[in-house]
Amino acid sequence: MLQITLGIITSVGGFLEIGSVTTAVQAGASFQYQLLWAILLGTICLIFLVEMSGRLAAVSKHTIVEATRERFGFPFFFIVLVGMVLVAFLVLVAELGGIGLSLQILTGIGFPWWAIPVSFIVWILMWKGTFSLIENGASLLGLVTLSFAVAAVKLHPEWGGVAHGMLPTFPGDQKAKYWFVAVSILGASISPYLMYFYSSGAIEDEWDESYIPINRFISTFGMSLGGFLSMAVLVVAALVFHPMGIDIQKFEQASLLLTTALPKWGFFLFAMSMLFACLGAALEISLAIAYFFAQGFGWNWSEDLNPARDARFCSTYTIIIMLAAVPLLFGVDPIRVTIMAMALTSATLPLAIVPFLFLMNDPIYLREHRNGWISNTVVAIIVLISFVLAVISIPLEIIGG
Amino acid sequence: MKLVRDVLDKELLDREEEPMGRVDGLLMHVGKNSQPRVTHIDIGGPVPWERVHPFFGRLSRRLAQLWGPKRREQVRIPWSRVETVGRDIKLDVEARETGAIDWEIWIARHIIEHIPGSGHEEAGDGH
Repeated sequence: MLQITLGIITSVGGFLEIGSVTTAVQAGASFQYQLLWAILLGTICLIFLVEMSGRLAAVSKHTIVEATRERFGFPFFFIVLVGMVLVAFLVLVAELGGIGLSLQILTGIGFPWWAIPVSFIVWILMWKGTFSLIENGASLLGLVTLSFAVAAVKLHPEWGGVAHGMLPTFPGDQKAKYWFVAVSILGASISPYLMYFYSSGAIEDEWDESYIPINRFISTFGMSLGGFLSMAVLVVAALVFHPMGIDIQKFEQASLLLTTALPKWGFFLFAMSMLFACLGAALEISLAIAYFFAQGFGWNWSEDLNPARDARFCSTYTIIIMLAAVPLLFGVDPIRVTIMAMALTSATLPLAIVPFLFLMNDPIYLREHRNGWISNTVVAIIVLISFVLAVISIPLEIIGG
Repeated sequence: MKLVRDVLDKELLDREEEPMGRVDGLLMHVGKNSQPRVTHIDIGGPVPWERVHPFFGRLSRRLAQLWGPKRREQVRIPWSRVETVGRDIKLDVEARETGAIDWEIWIARHIIEHIPGSGHEEAGDGH
Protein backbone atom coordinates (compact mmCIF):
# COMPACT_ATOMS: atom_id res chain seq x y z
CA MET A 1 0.00 0.00 0.00
CA LEU A 2 2.84 2.36 0.93
CA GLN A 3 4.51 1.76 -2.40
CA ILE A 4 1.32 2.51 -4.26
CA THR A 5 1.23 5.97 -2.72
CA LEU A 6 4.58 6.69 -4.40
CA GLY A 7 2.73 6.23 -7.69
CA ILE A 8 -0.21 8.33 -6.62
CA ILE A 9 1.84 11.26 -5.37
CA THR A 10 3.97 11.09 -8.47
CA SER A 11 0.82 11.23 -10.57
CA VAL A 12 -1.34 13.67 -8.63
CA GLY A 13 1.47 15.88 -7.40
CA GLY A 14 3.67 15.54 -10.41
CA PHE A 15 1.30 14.90 -13.26
CA LEU A 16 -1.69 16.97 -12.31
CA GLU A 17 -0.29 20.36 -11.41
CA ILE A 18 -0.50 23.90 -12.70
CA GLY A 19 1.17 22.93 -15.99
CA SER A 20 -1.17 20.12 -16.96
CA VAL A 21 -4.30 21.94 -15.75
CA THR A 22 -3.44 25.23 -17.52
CA THR A 23 -2.51 23.52 -20.78
CA ALA A 24 -5.54 21.19 -20.68
CA VAL A 25 -7.90 24.12 -19.98
CA GLN A 26 -6.37 26.11 -22.86
CA ALA A 27 -6.64 23.13 -25.19
CA GLY A 28 -10.27 22.41 -24.30
CA ALA A 29 -11.35 26.05 -24.49
CA SER A 30 -9.68 26.71 -27.86
CA PHE A 31 -9.81 23.35 -29.67
CA GLN A 32 -12.54 21.36 -27.89
CA TYR A 33 -11.51 17.66 -27.76
CA GLN A 34 -9.07 17.97 -30.64
CA LEU A 35 -5.91 17.88 -28.50
CA LEU A 36 -6.78 14.89 -26.29
CA TRP A 37 -4.24 12.88 -28.31
CA ALA A 38 -1.40 15.00 -26.88
CA ILE A 39 -2.35 14.01 -23.32
CA LEU A 40 -2.68 10.37 -24.39
CA LEU A 41 0.73 10.42 -26.09
CA GLY A 42 2.39 12.18 -23.14
CA THR A 43 0.83 9.76 -20.65
CA ILE A 44 1.98 6.67 -22.58
CA CYS A 45 5.51 8.07 -22.75
CA LEU A 46 5.47 8.92 -19.05
CA ILE A 47 4.25 5.43 -18.06
CA PHE A 48 7.25 3.93 -19.87
CA LEU A 49 9.72 6.46 -18.44
CA VAL A 50 8.52 6.15 -14.86
CA GLU A 51 8.55 2.35 -15.08
CA MET A 52 12.15 2.53 -16.35
CA SER A 53 13.18 4.91 -13.55
CA GLY A 54 11.86 2.48 -10.92
CA ARG A 55 13.43 -0.53 -12.65
CA LEU A 56 16.84 1.17 -12.84
CA ALA A 57 16.71 1.91 -9.11
CA ALA A 58 15.43 -1.54 -8.13
CA VAL A 59 17.98 -3.48 -10.20
CA SER A 60 21.11 -1.30 -10.07
CA LYS A 61 20.45 0.49 -6.73
CA HIS A 62 21.36 3.68 -8.59
CA THR A 63 19.18 6.70 -9.10
CA ILE A 64 19.10 8.14 -12.63
CA VAL A 65 21.37 11.02 -11.59
CA GLU A 66 23.99 8.75 -10.00
CA ALA A 67 24.06 6.48 -13.03
CA THR A 68 24.25 9.46 -15.42
CA ARG A 69 27.28 10.90 -13.66
CA GLU A 70 29.05 7.53 -13.46
CA ARG A 71 28.34 6.42 -16.99
CA PHE A 72 28.88 9.70 -18.85
CA GLY A 73 31.36 11.52 -16.59
CA PHE A 74 31.27 14.88 -14.86
CA PRO A 75 31.40 17.26 -17.87
CA PHE A 76 28.33 15.72 -19.55
CA PHE A 77 26.57 15.39 -16.20
CA PHE A 78 27.17 19.11 -15.64
CA ILE A 79 25.40 20.02 -18.90
CA VAL A 80 22.39 17.86 -17.98
CA LEU A 81 22.41 19.40 -14.49
CA VAL A 82 22.30 22.97 -15.80
CA GLY A 83 19.51 22.22 -18.31
CA MET A 84 17.34 20.19 -15.96
CA VAL A 85 17.75 22.42 -12.93
CA LEU A 86 16.92 25.59 -14.89
CA VAL A 87 13.73 24.08 -16.32
CA ALA A 88 12.75 22.49 -12.99
CA PHE A 89 13.33 25.83 -11.27
CA LEU A 90 10.90 27.56 -13.67
CA VAL A 91 8.35 24.84 -12.99
CA LEU A 92 8.84 25.35 -9.24
CA VAL A 93 8.14 29.08 -9.64
CA ALA A 94 4.97 28.13 -11.54
CA GLU A 95 3.83 25.68 -8.83
CA LEU A 96 4.43 28.13 -5.97
CA GLY A 97 2.53 30.65 -8.08
CA GLY A 98 -0.25 28.10 -8.53
CA ILE A 99 -0.61 27.75 -4.76
CA GLY A 100 -0.58 31.57 -4.50
CA LEU A 101 -3.25 31.93 -7.19
CA SER A 102 -5.46 29.31 -5.48
CA LEU A 103 -5.18 31.27 -2.23
CA GLN A 104 -5.84 34.50 -4.15
CA ILE A 105 -9.18 33.27 -5.50
CA LEU A 106 -10.11 31.86 -2.09
CA THR A 107 -9.23 34.95 -0.05
CA GLY A 108 -9.11 37.88 -2.48
CA ILE A 109 -5.54 38.69 -1.38
CA GLY A 110 -3.20 38.97 -4.41
CA PHE A 111 -0.73 36.13 -5.09
CA PRO A 112 2.45 38.21 -4.56
CA TRP A 113 1.46 38.51 -0.89
CA TRP A 114 1.36 34.73 -0.65
CA ALA A 115 4.85 34.19 -2.13
CA ILE A 116 6.66 34.25 1.22
CA PRO A 117 4.12 32.33 3.37
CA VAL A 118 3.69 29.66 0.68
CA SER A 119 7.44 29.18 0.22
CA PHE A 120 7.84 29.01 3.97
CA ILE A 121 5.19 26.28 4.26
CA VAL A 122 6.77 24.24 1.45
CA TRP A 123 10.17 24.65 3.10
CA ILE A 124 8.97 23.71 6.61
CA LEU A 125 7.29 20.56 5.25
CA MET A 126 10.61 19.57 3.70
CA TRP A 127 12.62 20.59 6.77
CA LYS A 128 10.52 18.77 9.36
CA GLY A 129 8.75 16.13 7.26
CA THR A 130 9.93 12.65 6.34
CA PHE A 131 9.74 11.17 2.86
CA SER A 132 6.69 9.06 3.75
CA LEU A 133 4.87 12.05 5.27
CA ILE A 134 5.32 13.99 2.03
CA GLU A 135 4.49 10.91 -0.03
CA ASN A 136 1.32 9.91 1.82
CA GLY A 137 0.09 13.36 2.82
CA ALA A 138 0.28 14.78 -0.68
CA SER A 139 -1.36 11.73 -2.27
CA LEU A 140 -4.28 11.76 0.18
CA LEU A 141 -4.89 15.51 -0.19
CA GLY A 142 -4.39 15.24 -3.95
CA LEU A 143 -7.40 12.91 -4.21
CA VAL A 144 -9.61 16.02 -4.15
CA THR A 145 -8.60 16.43 -7.82
CA LEU A 146 -10.96 13.51 -8.58
CA SER A 147 -13.61 16.25 -8.64
CA PHE A 148 -12.44 17.02 -12.23
CA ALA A 149 -13.51 13.51 -13.25
CA VAL A 150 -16.86 13.87 -11.45
CA ALA A 151 -17.50 17.15 -13.28
CA ALA A 152 -16.58 15.64 -16.66
CA VAL A 153 -19.07 12.79 -16.22
CA LYS A 154 -21.83 15.07 -14.87
CA LEU A 155 -21.62 17.31 -17.94
CA HIS A 156 -22.44 14.34 -20.24
CA PRO A 157 -19.82 14.88 -22.95
CA GLU A 158 -20.41 13.44 -26.38
CA TRP A 159 -18.25 10.32 -26.02
CA GLY A 160 -17.83 9.81 -29.77
CA GLY A 161 -16.18 13.23 -30.03
CA VAL A 162 -13.98 12.45 -27.03
CA ALA A 163 -12.83 9.18 -28.63
CA HIS A 164 -12.16 11.01 -31.91
CA GLY A 165 -9.95 13.51 -30.09
CA MET A 166 -7.62 10.67 -29.06
CA LEU A 167 -6.44 10.50 -32.67
CA PRO A 168 -4.16 13.31 -33.91
CA THR A 169 -5.81 15.64 -36.41
CA PHE A 170 -4.57 18.73 -38.21
CA PRO A 171 -6.05 22.03 -37.10
CA GLY A 172 -8.37 24.07 -39.31
CA ASP A 173 -7.15 27.51 -38.27
CA GLN A 174 -4.88 28.87 -35.49
CA LYS A 175 -2.20 26.40 -36.59
CA ALA A 176 0.67 27.97 -34.64
CA LYS A 177 -1.37 28.07 -31.45
CA TYR A 178 -2.59 24.49 -31.91
CA TRP A 179 0.92 23.08 -32.13
CA PHE A 180 2.22 25.30 -29.35
CA VAL A 181 -0.52 24.07 -27.00
CA ALA A 182 0.22 20.48 -28.11
CA VAL A 183 3.90 20.99 -27.23
CA SER A 184 2.99 22.53 -23.87
CA ILE A 185 0.74 19.56 -23.08
CA LEU A 186 3.53 17.13 -23.94
CA GLY A 187 5.96 19.14 -21.78
CA ALA A 188 3.45 19.20 -18.92
CA SER A 189 2.95 15.42 -19.15
CA ILE A 190 6.53 14.23 -19.70
CA SER A 191 8.25 16.00 -16.82
CA PRO A 192 11.80 14.74 -16.27
CA TYR A 193 11.81 15.86 -12.62
CA LEU A 194 9.16 13.17 -12.03
CA MET A 195 11.65 10.53 -13.09
CA TYR A 196 14.38 11.90 -10.82
CA PHE A 197 11.93 12.08 -7.94
CA TYR A 198 10.55 8.59 -8.56
CA SER A 199 13.94 6.87 -8.85
CA SER A 200 15.18 8.62 -5.69
CA GLY A 201 11.94 7.60 -3.94
CA ALA A 202 12.56 3.98 -4.92
CA ILE A 203 16.03 4.20 -3.29
CA GLU A 204 14.58 5.97 -0.21
CA ASP A 205 12.04 3.12 0.07
CA GLU A 206 14.86 0.55 -0.44
CA TRP A 207 13.48 -1.24 -3.49
CA ASP A 208 15.14 -4.38 -4.83
CA GLU A 209 14.47 -6.64 -7.79
CA SER A 210 11.36 -8.11 -6.14
CA TYR A 211 9.72 -4.71 -6.72
CA ILE A 212 9.83 -4.95 -10.52
CA PRO A 213 6.21 -6.20 -10.87
CA ILE A 214 4.81 -3.71 -8.35
CA ASN A 215 6.82 -0.94 -10.02
CA ARG A 216 5.16 -1.81 -13.31
CA PHE A 217 1.74 -1.64 -11.67
CA ILE A 218 2.45 1.64 -9.82
CA SER A 219 3.78 3.44 -12.89
CA THR A 220 0.95 2.25 -15.13
CA PHE A 221 -1.80 2.89 -12.60
CA GLY A 222 -0.40 6.12 -11.17
CA MET A 223 0.43 7.80 -14.47
CA SER A 224 -2.84 6.63 -16.09
CA LEU A 225 -4.72 8.20 -13.19
CA GLY A 226 -2.85 11.47 -13.75
CA GLY A 227 -3.45 11.34 -17.51
CA PHE A 228 -7.10 10.47 -17.02
CA LEU A 229 -7.60 13.47 -14.69
CA SER A 230 -5.84 15.79 -17.19
CA MET A 231 -8.19 14.54 -19.89
CA ALA A 232 -11.14 15.21 -17.57
CA VAL A 233 -9.92 18.82 -17.19
CA LEU A 234 -9.72 19.18 -20.97
CA VAL A 235 -13.19 17.70 -21.47
CA VAL A 236 -14.76 19.98 -18.85
CA ALA A 237 -13.01 23.03 -20.38
CA ALA A 238 -14.25 22.00 -23.83
CA LEU A 239 -17.84 21.81 -22.56
CA VAL A 240 -17.79 24.92 -20.38
CA PHE A 241 -15.49 27.42 -22.12
CA HIS A 242 -15.46 26.40 -25.80
CA PRO A 243 -19.17 27.15 -26.49
CA MET A 244 -18.74 30.63 -24.98
CA GLY A 245 -15.66 31.25 -27.11
CA ILE A 246 -13.61 32.15 -24.03
CA ASP A 247 -9.86 32.09 -24.63
CA ILE A 248 -8.36 31.33 -21.24
CA GLN A 249 -5.61 33.78 -20.33
CA LYS A 250 -6.16 34.19 -16.61
CA PHE A 251 -6.37 31.85 -13.65
CA GLU A 252 -9.57 33.61 -12.48
CA GLN A 253 -11.29 32.53 -15.70
CA ALA A 254 -10.12 28.94 -15.27
CA SER A 255 -11.42 28.91 -11.71
CA LEU A 256 -14.98 28.78 -13.06
CA LEU A 257 -14.16 25.40 -14.63
CA LEU A 258 -16.19 23.32 -12.19
CA THR A 259 -19.05 25.71 -11.38
CA THR A 260 -21.28 24.56 -14.27
CA ALA A 261 -21.14 20.91 -13.24
CA LEU A 262 -20.97 21.51 -9.50
CA PRO A 263 -22.61 24.90 -8.88
CA LYS A 264 -22.42 24.79 -5.08
CA TRP A 265 -18.93 23.42 -4.46
CA GLY A 266 -17.28 23.82 -7.86
CA PHE A 267 -15.37 27.00 -7.16
CA PHE A 268 -14.10 25.78 -3.80
CA LEU A 269 -13.18 22.32 -5.16
CA PHE A 270 -11.21 23.88 -8.05
CA ALA A 271 -9.25 26.09 -5.66
CA MET A 272 -8.55 23.21 -3.26
CA SER A 273 -7.60 20.85 -6.11
CA MET A 274 -5.12 23.35 -7.51
CA LEU A 275 -3.80 24.16 -4.05
CA PHE A 276 -3.06 20.53 -3.15
CA ALA A 277 -1.86 19.46 -6.59
CA CYS A 278 0.56 22.41 -6.82
CA LEU A 279 1.72 21.85 -3.23
CA GLY A 280 2.49 18.19 -4.01
CA ALA A 281 4.32 19.21 -7.18
CA ALA A 282 6.28 21.98 -5.41
CA LEU A 283 7.50 19.50 -2.78
CA GLU A 284 8.38 16.98 -5.44
CA ILE A 285 10.33 19.48 -7.59
CA SER A 286 12.22 20.98 -4.64
CA LEU A 287 13.23 17.48 -3.58
CA ALA A 288 14.13 16.50 -7.15
CA ILE A 289 16.48 19.50 -7.51
CA ALA A 290 18.16 18.79 -4.16
CA TYR A 291 18.52 15.09 -5.09
CA PHE A 292 20.08 16.12 -8.39
CA PHE A 293 22.88 18.08 -6.73
CA ALA A 294 23.43 15.69 -3.82
CA GLN A 295 23.53 12.52 -5.91
CA GLY A 296 25.63 14.08 -8.66
CA PHE A 297 28.28 15.35 -6.26
CA GLY A 298 28.18 12.39 -3.87
CA TRP A 299 26.83 14.26 -0.82
CA ASN A 300 24.87 12.66 1.98
CA TRP A 301 21.18 12.75 1.05
CA SER A 302 17.87 11.58 2.39
CA GLU A 303 14.64 13.34 3.18
CA ASP A 304 14.50 11.16 6.33
CA LEU A 305 17.75 12.45 7.85
CA ASN A 306 18.06 15.30 10.31
CA PRO A 307 19.00 18.43 8.31
CA ALA A 308 22.31 18.68 10.20
CA ARG A 309 23.28 15.26 8.85
CA ASP A 310 22.81 16.18 5.20
CA ALA A 311 23.51 19.88 5.41
CA ARG A 312 24.36 20.44 1.75
CA PHE A 313 21.23 18.59 0.59
CA CYS A 314 19.00 20.68 2.89
CA SER A 315 20.69 23.97 2.06
CA THR A 316 20.15 23.25 -1.64
CA TYR A 317 16.37 23.01 -1.35
CA THR A 318 16.31 25.91 1.11
CA ILE A 319 18.10 28.20 -1.36
CA ILE A 320 16.06 26.97 -4.35
CA ILE A 321 12.72 27.57 -2.59
CA MET A 322 13.84 31.04 -1.46
CA LEU A 323 14.94 31.98 -4.98
CA ALA A 324 11.71 30.65 -6.51
CA ALA A 325 9.69 33.02 -4.32
CA VAL A 326 11.46 36.11 -5.72
CA PRO A 327 9.77 36.41 -9.17
CA LEU A 328 6.36 35.88 -7.54
CA LEU A 329 7.07 38.57 -4.99
CA PHE A 330 7.55 40.96 -7.90
CA GLY A 331 4.23 39.89 -9.40
CA VAL A 332 5.54 37.84 -12.37
CA ASP A 333 2.45 36.08 -13.77
CA PRO A 334 2.62 32.37 -12.80
CA ILE A 335 0.51 31.36 -15.81
CA ARG A 336 3.03 32.90 -18.25
CA VAL A 337 5.87 31.18 -16.39
CA THR A 338 3.92 27.92 -16.60
CA ILE A 339 3.39 28.11 -20.36
CA MET A 340 7.04 28.97 -20.94
CA ALA A 341 8.27 26.24 -18.58
CA MET A 342 6.12 23.56 -20.25
CA ALA A 343 7.31 24.42 -23.77
CA LEU A 344 10.94 24.54 -22.58
CA THR A 345 10.50 21.13 -20.94
CA SER A 346 9.55 19.71 -24.34
CA ALA A 347 12.51 21.39 -26.00
CA THR A 348 14.99 20.01 -23.43
CA LEU A 349 13.53 16.48 -23.30
CA PRO A 350 16.27 14.86 -25.43
CA LEU A 351 18.88 16.09 -22.94
CA ALA A 352 17.16 14.13 -20.18
CA ILE A 353 15.85 11.15 -22.12
CA VAL A 354 18.61 10.20 -24.60
CA PRO A 355 21.29 9.44 -21.95
CA PHE A 356 18.60 7.75 -19.87
CA LEU A 357 17.76 5.39 -22.74
CA PHE A 358 21.46 4.51 -23.06
CA LEU A 359 21.52 3.65 -19.35
CA MET A 360 18.40 1.53 -19.66
CA ASN A 361 20.09 -0.57 -22.33
CA ASP A 362 23.36 -0.98 -20.44
CA PRO A 363 23.97 -4.50 -19.11
CA ILE A 364 26.29 -3.12 -16.41
CA TYR A 365 23.30 -1.46 -14.73
CA LEU A 366 20.28 -3.52 -15.79
CA ARG A 367 21.73 -6.99 -16.54
CA GLU A 368 18.84 -9.14 -17.85
CA HIS A 369 16.30 -6.43 -17.00
CA ARG A 370 17.35 -4.17 -19.88
CA ASN A 371 14.78 -2.39 -22.03
CA GLY A 372 13.07 -4.29 -24.80
CA TRP A 373 12.68 -2.83 -28.28
CA ILE A 374 9.07 -1.76 -27.63
CA SER A 375 9.88 0.58 -24.74
CA ASN A 376 12.95 1.96 -26.55
CA THR A 377 10.96 2.68 -29.71
CA VAL A 378 7.90 4.17 -28.01
CA VAL A 379 9.93 6.55 -25.84
CA ALA A 380 12.36 7.54 -28.63
CA ILE A 381 9.54 8.35 -31.06
CA ILE A 382 7.44 10.36 -28.58
CA VAL A 383 10.47 12.34 -27.39
CA LEU A 384 11.47 13.03 -30.98
CA ILE A 385 7.94 14.24 -31.81
CA SER A 386 7.89 16.54 -28.74
CA PHE A 387 11.31 17.93 -29.55
CA VAL A 388 10.58 18.60 -33.22
CA LEU A 389 7.22 20.19 -32.40
CA ALA A 390 8.88 22.34 -29.73
CA VAL A 391 11.65 23.54 -32.03
CA ILE A 392 9.10 24.50 -34.69
CA SER A 393 6.30 25.91 -32.57
CA ILE A 394 8.16 27.90 -29.91
CA PRO A 395 9.60 30.45 -32.42
CA LEU A 396 6.21 30.59 -34.19
CA GLU A 397 4.45 31.34 -30.92
CA ILE A 398 7.01 34.03 -30.03
CA ILE A 399 6.68 35.67 -33.47
CA GLY A 400 2.90 35.41 -33.34
CA GLY A 401 2.85 36.84 -29.81
CA MET B 1 39.19 -3.15 -14.26
CA LYS B 2 38.59 -0.19 -16.57
CA LEU B 3 39.54 3.01 -14.79
CA VAL B 4 37.11 5.38 -16.50
CA ARG B 5 34.19 2.96 -16.54
CA ASP B 6 34.65 1.33 -13.13
CA VAL B 7 36.38 3.95 -10.98
CA LEU B 8 36.10 7.54 -12.25
CA ASP B 9 32.97 9.38 -10.99
CA LYS B 10 31.98 6.52 -8.65
CA GLU B 11 30.66 7.30 -5.18
CA LEU B 12 33.15 7.02 -2.30
CA LEU B 13 32.23 5.63 1.12
CA ASP B 14 34.41 5.71 4.23
CA ARG B 15 34.78 2.82 6.66
CA GLU B 16 31.53 3.82 8.40
CA GLU B 17 29.75 3.75 4.99
CA GLU B 18 29.47 7.55 5.13
CA PRO B 19 29.34 9.17 1.65
CA MET B 20 32.43 11.30 1.07
CA GLY B 21 31.99 12.56 -2.50
CA ARG B 22 32.84 11.02 -5.84
CA VAL B 23 36.05 10.10 -7.64
CA ASP B 24 36.61 13.45 -9.33
CA GLY B 25 40.09 12.72 -10.59
CA LEU B 26 42.74 10.01 -10.64
CA LEU B 27 46.46 10.62 -10.22
CA MET B 28 48.85 8.33 -12.06
CA HIS B 29 52.52 7.72 -11.79
CA VAL B 30 54.21 7.15 -15.15
CA GLY B 31 57.81 6.06 -14.62
CA LYS B 32 60.44 5.67 -17.30
CA ASN B 33 61.04 2.00 -16.67
CA SER B 34 57.80 0.93 -14.99
CA GLN B 35 54.17 0.40 -15.87
CA PRO B 36 51.90 3.43 -15.24
CA ARG B 37 49.95 3.00 -12.00
CA VAL B 38 47.21 4.88 -10.18
CA THR B 39 48.54 6.44 -7.01
CA HIS B 40 45.79 8.71 -5.68
CA ILE B 41 42.08 9.58 -5.88
CA ASP B 42 41.21 13.29 -5.99
CA ILE B 43 37.99 14.43 -4.35
CA GLY B 44 36.28 17.80 -4.83
CA GLY B 45 37.97 21.17 -5.18
CA PRO B 46 38.65 22.49 -8.67
CA VAL B 47 39.40 18.98 -10.08
CA PRO B 48 35.93 18.08 -11.48
CA TRP B 49 35.43 21.65 -12.74
CA GLU B 50 38.69 21.56 -14.61
CA ARG B 51 37.35 18.54 -16.47
CA VAL B 52 34.48 20.74 -17.75
CA HIS B 53 36.74 23.66 -18.75
CA PRO B 54 39.84 25.35 -17.25
CA PHE B 55 37.71 28.48 -16.80
CA PHE B 56 35.45 26.65 -14.32
CA GLY B 57 38.55 25.34 -12.54
CA ARG B 58 39.84 28.91 -12.01
CA LEU B 59 36.37 30.06 -10.95
CA SER B 60 36.09 27.25 -8.41
CA ARG B 61 39.51 28.16 -6.93
CA ARG B 62 38.59 31.82 -6.65
CA LEU B 63 35.22 31.14 -5.02
CA ALA B 64 36.79 28.79 -2.47
CA GLN B 65 39.14 31.59 -1.42
CA LEU B 66 36.23 33.91 -0.73
CA TRP B 67 34.07 31.58 1.27
CA GLY B 68 33.89 28.24 3.02
CA PRO B 69 36.19 25.98 5.04
CA LYS B 70 39.77 27.05 5.51
CA ARG B 71 41.55 23.96 4.18
CA ARG B 72 43.20 24.83 0.87
CA GLU B 73 45.03 21.76 -0.38
CA GLN B 74 43.38 19.22 -2.70
CA VAL B 75 41.80 16.23 -0.93
CA ARG B 76 43.87 13.28 -2.13
CA ILE B 77 43.45 9.68 -0.95
CA PRO B 78 46.23 7.13 -1.58
CA TRP B 79 45.09 4.23 -3.79
CA SER B 80 46.36 1.82 -1.11
CA ARG B 81 43.32 2.86 1.00
CA VAL B 82 40.87 1.45 -1.56
CA GLU B 83 39.14 -1.60 -0.07
CA THR B 84 36.57 -2.61 -2.68
CA VAL B 85 35.44 -1.36 -6.10
CA GLY B 86 31.83 -2.26 -6.85
CA ARG B 87 28.58 -0.28 -6.93
CA ASP B 88 30.60 2.29 -4.98
CA ILE B 89 34.19 2.48 -3.82
CA LYS B 90 34.89 1.70 -0.18
CA LEU B 91 37.90 3.36 1.42
CA ASP B 92 39.68 2.45 4.62
CA VAL B 93 39.63 6.02 5.94
CA GLU B 94 37.57 8.25 8.24
CA ALA B 95 35.76 10.81 6.03
CA ARG B 96 36.15 13.62 8.57
CA GLU B 97 39.90 13.26 8.81
CA THR B 98 40.49 13.41 5.06
CA GLY B 99 38.89 16.82 4.50
CA ALA B 100 36.47 15.35 1.93
CA ILE B 101 33.42 16.44 3.92
CA ASP B 102 34.79 19.79 5.15
CA TRP B 103 32.07 21.62 3.23
CA GLU B 104 29.33 19.40 4.68
CA ILE B 105 30.57 20.12 8.21
CA TRP B 106 31.12 23.82 7.49
CA ILE B 107 27.59 24.31 6.15
CA ALA B 108 26.09 22.28 9.01
CA ARG B 109 27.98 24.35 11.63
CA HIS B 110 27.61 27.80 10.07
CA ILE B 111 24.12 27.65 8.61
CA ILE B 112 21.98 24.61 9.21
CA GLU B 113 22.50 24.23 12.97
CA HIS B 114 21.39 27.83 13.49
CA ILE B 115 17.96 27.03 12.09
CA PRO B 116 15.53 25.55 14.66
CA GLY B 117 14.64 21.89 14.18
CA SER B 118 17.81 20.94 12.34
CA GLY B 119 18.58 18.12 14.81
CA HIS B 120 22.07 17.20 15.84
CA GLU B 121 24.76 16.21 13.39
CA GLU B 122 25.28 12.79 14.98
CA ALA B 123 21.63 11.63 15.05
CA GLY B 124 19.76 9.60 12.43
CA ASP B 125 21.05 7.36 9.69
CA GLY B 126 20.97 7.55 5.94
CA HIS B 127 22.27 6.34 2.63
